[in-house]
Amino acid sequence: MAVLSWRRKDDAAREGVRAEAEVRARFEALALPLLPSLYNTARWLTRDAAEAEDLVQETMVKALGGFAGFEAGTNFKAWAFRILRNTYLTSRSGLAARRTVALEEELEAGGVPETAVEWASPELELMRLSDRAALERAMEELPPPLKEVVLLCDVEEMKYREIAAVLEVPIGTVMSRVSRARAVLREKLTAEGTRAGGSLR
Amino acid sequence: MSEHLADSPHLSGAMLSALVDGELAGEEMVRVEAHLAECAECTRRALSESLLKRGVARAGQRYAMPEGLRERVMGAVAESRVATPTSQNRDVGHPAPPPKQSLDGAPGRSRNAWILGTAAAVVVCVSAFVARDMSLSGAAQTALVNEAVDEHIAAMAAGGPEVVSSDRHTVKPWFQGKLPFSFNLPQELPADVTLDGANLVQVEGQPAAQLLFSIGKHKASVFVRQRSGKAASDAERNGFHVEGFHTRELDMAAVSDADLARLRELVKTMEQAQQ
Repeated sequence: MAVLSWRRKDDAAREGVRAEAEVRARFEALALPLLPSLYNTARWLTRDAAEAEDLVQETMVKALGGFAGFEAGTNFKAWAFRILRNTYLTSRSGLAARRTVALEEELEAGGVPETAVEWASPELELMRLSDRAALERAMEELPPPLKEVVLLCDVEEMKYREIAAVLEVPIGTVMSRVSRARAVLREKLTAEGTRAGGSLR
Repeated sequence: MSEHLADSPHLSGAMLSALVDGELAGEEMVRVEAHLAECAECTRRALSESLLKRGVARAGQRYAMPEGLRERVMGAVAESRVATPTSQNRDVGHPAPPPKQSLDGAPGRSRNAWILGTAAAVVVCVSAFVARDMSLSGAAQTALVNEAVDEHIAAMAAGGPEVVSSDRHTVKPWFQGKLPFSFNLPQELPADVTLDGANLVQVEGQPAAQLLFSIGKHKASVFVRQRSGKAASDAERNGFHVEGFHTRELDMAAVSDADLARLRELVKTMEQAQQ
């Protein structure tokens, strides 16, 4: 009797171990391909290599912990990026960024007039828009809510619907942020071009 | 926002973005295409927008993953726990999470998994509406406390309040329309106390506001919900202080592992703000 119940417990334990191994395997198959993207995004947000690595690690540990709540067949990438973002927001630098940079509210209210920036000439425009270094500088200066939206939209090629899920905002907000982010980028590129001197014009 | 140019014959910035992002469909697409066919200016802007998008895509892929990160992450993942299928978490859940179920009787194991699973384990705080009804049995009270514990740890593990702001003018309006009652946030907080943000939570199936504060290095939660009759009682649980208090319309409970005197300061400030 005692032996029997012992054996049963043993079976149950083995069953549990096998189930967990399966969950881990499924998780890794989904998560590993995302690591380079998550790192790139983390690095843009934190602006620090070590912090970005920690952020990716913490994100993955949390994702595994919550993996049971993730529904198979739904968007794992959006889900993982959402965890990354939420983790960043409560990290020290994330909170600091939130405090010092415009609150989202201000962002909604103020913003950049959509057609404020006019290019001096199509040639100049072409040149600036393909100037990778200038674009990198302009992106670095974007306020976090705009930076994250262009990273998700242009670099990660997410649809507005997915971005809305990551940021937990309505799709309309995503659309207006993307367009504002691009307007700000244009403005920065133009300003830099103008500063760069007389060859422009 | 996208209708700034509603009166203008040209496409709005948002329309241009949506166009190059492949987000237009149906009638909108037809309308935009028709406009582009006869507007050189907007065609030029659309091309430019698309150039910018491509430029950002290239420039944005800037940081290659450092060698060893993959191994490091996999090592950390291998050492951490997989949550049980019964455990639920609001913030690492689905984009549109279903209303959280009561976690009465949830196995302690799932809580532990969360504690292990998060680097935020050091900042655990607990909250409880301990005595909504004085006739509650001891077991029911324990279940309530557990529910609040799960609620809180879920929030901590997810790594972020739903609304992140230190500004009461942002936090308070955020709850409008989400809660069947309103409350005030103090104009001034005690020294070294900051508001970190807030969550909308369910306690005992009732909507409540969870306000997250930092008291020095400790975290504190203040739960606010509609008055249900009886005062909540003060308690200490696993080293966490639970301070229940109420006003005419609201029940509140503050919980933290911070020094009790400092928690009481916060409680007092919250109480005064309701007057």
